[in-house]
Amino acid sequence: MIAAVLAAALAIAGAEQPQPARPEGVIARDVTFVSESVQCYGRIYLPKGFTPESRAAAIVLAPGWAETAASIDKYAARFAGHGMVAMAIDYRGWGRSGGFLYLADPVRWDDRLRFSQHTARVRIRRKRLSPEAQLLDIRNAMSFLQGEPGVDRARIGVWGTDMAGGHALIAAATDARVKAAVGQVPIIDGHDVPRKAFAPSPETQAELVRLARTGDAPGNSVSAAALNVAEAKIVLAEYHPFWYADAVPQATAVLFVVAEKDLKVNNATNAVAASKLIKGPNGVTAIAGAGHALATPGAFEAAVEAAAAWFLKYL
Amino acid sequence: MSAPARLGFCAAAVLGATVSAQIPADLVDRRRAEFHTQATDADMKREGGTQPRDWNYDLPEGITTRQVTFYVDGGTPLYGKMFFPRGFRSRGKWPAVVVGHGINALSIGIEKYGARFADRGLVAMAIDYQSYGFSGSGADDLRLLEADTTTDAHVVTEKTARVLVKRTNLNNAHEVDDYRAALSFLQGEPGIDADRVGIWGSSNAGSVVIAVAAADARVKAVVSQVAGTPPSARGPAPIAAAMLDDGITRARTGQGAEVDGGFSFKSKVDMWSTQRNRDVRPGSTLDQIPASTRILFLPAENDELSGRGGAGAIAATKFLTERGVTAQTIMYPELTHFQAYSYTGFDVGSTLAADWFLKYLGRGEPPKTPAQEGRR
Repeated sequence: MIAAVLAAALAIAGAEQPQPARPEGVIARDVTFVSESVQCYGRIYLPKGFTPESRAAAIVLAPGWAETAASIDKYAARFAGHGMVAMAIDYRGWGRSGGFLYLADPVRWDDRLRFSQHTARVRIRRKRLSPEAQLLDIRNAMSFLQGEPGVDRARIGVWGTDMAGGHALIAAATDARVKAAVGQVPIIDGHDVPRKAFAPSPETQAELVRLARTGDAPGNSVSAAALNVAEAKIVLAEYHPFWYADAVPQATAVLFVVAEKDLKVNNATNAVAASKLIKGPNGVTAIAGAGHALATPGAFEAAVEAAAAWFLKYL
Repeated sequence: MSAPARLGFCAAAVLGATVSAQIPADLVDRRRAEFHTQATDADMKREGGTQPRDWNYDLPEGITTRQVTFYVDGGTPLYGKMFFPRGFRSRGKWPAVVVGHGINALSIGIEKYGARFADRGLVAMAIDYQSYGFSGSGADDLRLLEADTTTDAHVVTEKTARVLVKRTNLNNAHEVDDYRAALSFLQGEPGIDADRVGIWGSSNAGSVVIAVAAADARVKAVVSQVAGTPPSARGPAPIAAAMLDDGITRARTGQGAEVDGGFSFKSKVDMWSTQRNRDVRPGSTLDQIPASTRILFLPAENDELSGRGGAGAIAATKFLTERGVTAQTIMYPELTHFQAYSYTGFDVGSTLAADWFLKYLGRGEPPKTPAQEGRR
């Protein structure tokens, strides 16, 4: 019964967004996947001739810092043009995905009754930066794709750009289902930080104390925006995808696509240094002349083709 | 006691960087006969869980309590019950410890450790993890039963909505977050020395506290009871076909299969819990624990759940000691897993844990002078 209720709640509301050019025969469809308890949005691209009897490889595409699926679904369309199923996602709290839910008033629960339905005041937070939640969203999107008829569940890849380049690396190091990963203009923090327990600065510790003691879900936009900033500072201080490079299994292939003239990321201490620690197939492909946004002529083309070739080779 | 187990106990007793880094374990030897009685008395058997009579305790004279709310993950309210020692002054500097319950359990079963630690001079706080007991369910466990129409135009929206509240999400990643939030809460409590905080965990939480120590250097002392976290490899945990199918069901419908969970407190839990909790493998991050964190393992010799002979604890102690981290294993002779929580097991176990905390966190310091007392 609960499943029926949940299924009924899966309708996605949202405005139409501009669509990228689709290679011939590629079909796009909006889907909802559930990440833990959150309704999340994905835009899935199916290759030409795809049927439920196909056995296609499938890729989850994860957007960068403060970005949404709309910023990357052109990559998904192109991967589908190469015969793969590809799904660009919105993280929870961003774009067309649901937000982080908190109860504004207490409700009465009983642990013996595991599930209970309530009409309650809720606060729904958005635009939080939570690598932990975003990684869960990526992994749950993988589960969704594995259940898509026509997808070969043994051939799953993850593509992430900017901050999600680090997420892709962590997914490869922590989820056995990932067989290939591509991090594009990846931010892979942690090269200069020993893999040790987090020792917060006095300022960060004061923030941790403040949030634990007074960090009720905010009730207005000013306090919510301030909390988003405070939380982001803390999580970024402890987020070190670099630590995961040497934990990627031998059989998992990881490519980094970097911009030669990236002013935001130091490729030498991010992608290049991380790739040296990866045990299995790995590589760094530099897009000549391009900056972090890959906006120079031909940069997108080169980056998407490098990623597609990597997935085709290793999936 | 079997011969290999006896050997294990001896091995445990000689582990540790230096003798001075250890607390005396002679209490165990002196009470060996009582351990034997507990292990063999039919009424003291505890198969498959503790019993309500094991949870009761008398609040020691002079110990005060306070129930508090603290927050994790951007606004999820958690429950803690604080125990304050005799003579506690909010302008002094006391050490404090978080006390966390075992798998699918409740803080009411382990409050007595908080009372005992306070009786020994520590501030203690027993907590319920998110989605358990008096603690709220978090964003992972609250589900809108209607479309979420919020957009990025608003960073927060308050409204009335139909919500599905999910409980007993057995989730070690959550538990790590909850311990850390509890530490933060304690650090901000007047009268607590923020530089002298520790954590106690038992059974599943005996593993979780090791993961917390690997994640957060604020932890200065750890007691891990009836658990064992032998060194293990990093990298992804394998996933069985049935789990993979369940993951698909969860992502497509919002809810996967359920299985029976818990021992002393039973409920249904998500089958997926087993898979997810393999993301938190403390044995693979032992090398992240700094030398400023001191760890005591208290395994039970005949532990039918966490392994007999304390092998996991002994292996972890050896690994840590070789890397300059102060660690010690003291084993409860003859006891099974759930016997650790009652009779001699509780008495000796809580005493050794308090000894450890007092050695490495130190004692409470009252305000030194009346003038200081008046300052704020």
